[in-house]
Amino acid sequence: MPEPTALEQQLSLLSGDLEWPATPDLVPAIGRRIRAPRRRPWFESRWAMAAAVAIVALAALLVYSPSRVAIADWFNLHTRFQQVPQLPTPTPLPPGPLGTRLGLGSQTTLSNAEGAVTWHVLVPSNLGKPDEVYLQLPPLGPPQGEVTLVYSGRPSIPTSGQTGVGVLVTEARGSVNTDFFAKMLGPGTTLDEVTVANHRGYWVAGQPHVFLLIDSAGNVRDETLRLATNTLLIDVGGTIVRVEGDLTKVQAVQIAASLG
Amino acid sequence: MEGRPADDGELFARAQRGDAAAYEEIVYRYQQVAFRTAYVITGSAADAEDAAQEGFVKAYRALATFRPGAEPRPWLLRIVANEARNRVRSTGRRHQLELRLAEGYRPGGAAPSPEAAAVAAEDRSRLLSLVNELSDEDRLVISSRYLLELSGEETAAALGIAEGTVKSRLSRALARLRARVEEVSGA
Repeated sequence: MPEPTALEQQLSLLSGDLEWPATPDLVPAIGRRIRAPRRRPWFESRWAMAAAVAIVALAALLVYSPSRVAIADWFNLHTRFQQVPQLPTPTPLPPGPLGTRLGLGSQTTLSNAEGAVTWHVLVPSNLGKPDEVYLQLPPLGPPQGEVTLVYSGRPSIPTSGQTGVGVLVTEARGSVNTDFFAKMLGPGTTLDEVTVANHRGYWVAGQPHVFLLIDSAGNVRDETLRLATNTLLIDVGGTIVRVEGDLTKVQAVQIAASLG
Repeated sequence: MEGRPADDGELFARAQRGDAAAYEEIVYRYQQVAFRTAYVITGSAADAEDAAQEGFVKAYRALATFRPGAEPRPWLLRIVANEARNRVRSTGRRHQLELRLAEGYRPGGAAPSPEAAAVAAEDRSRLLSLVNELSDEDRLVISSRYLLELSGEETAAALGIAEGTVKSRLSRALARLRARVEEVSGA
């Protein structure tokens, strides 16, 4: 580390001599607020429940079919999995544009999205050009942003009752050990390890599970709480790709294999 | 270990299990740095208090996302500073930050002569004025790093930027401040 310059030393010396406004005692007000019954118990009490069972969830993960080593990989998918005995019941999706309803961000074009993020946005060739593209940037999105490609339903892929669209392909990147997605899995949801074109990932299927976004400040974004349908999560060279829809595992793998 | 104050790790573990008293102890420990960080961002003590309070409450609700063993200060400061920035954005104004030397300030050292003390006080007062005159971006990074004495990681968290960006932004801000110091000294 280089020696501090004379200017830096002078600045450091100033710190002890400043007249800061008196620090208010925040403890009583915060104490009251965190002890008070929550105004939105439909979600937050359940999230608190989920937090309280985090240790139990970890224990559950340890007995899940993938090994302890695989659990570390799950965290590298920037996704926190929690198994809970009962899923919270989200409120119905709010009306409004798709980006608002599903917390996808602002609608944009593929080329604009490409220009706004640091990675090459992967497009599944077997689905073709997306019908809509959304971009979510920090602080509402993950630290390096998130791009979502939206495909409407088609004969082989029904429109999902959970999302109102056929397929969502969501992409994000982040440094290792940062999580910005969270999934709560109930007893009716299965989690299988998959490999697609040498990229490892997980297939979450069965009963709808809960999906949440953790923003770049580490806050759980409660408005993103929604039920998700079958989802394939894979790490493609550091880009986390989520393929979600009322898909079979084979269909999801085919879509993921056509990413390029 | 009776009487031993709990370390941060213990407090966070207890708070994550729903122990509100443990979280109050965390607030007590970090409220000053959180409030001052919010003050540097908003330039208003009232806004800083609101932002710090809201930030601590949000952090409590997000405790499940705090990784055991992680440094709590950057984690908390990121949330509080984010709240402070949101407040600036939502009100559409940032108060002009005016940091001052404390009343009755006397430069340290071994009993300087009254003349030397006066010169040193004037120098520091002038330097502080120049910091106050910097652009928001320059003043924020210099204030965070030197006046709040935040680490590089904490400064990055407080400003919502990468640690590498802190270094480059700080280097440019110091160069501009140095130029102003030289300009004023030579005037």
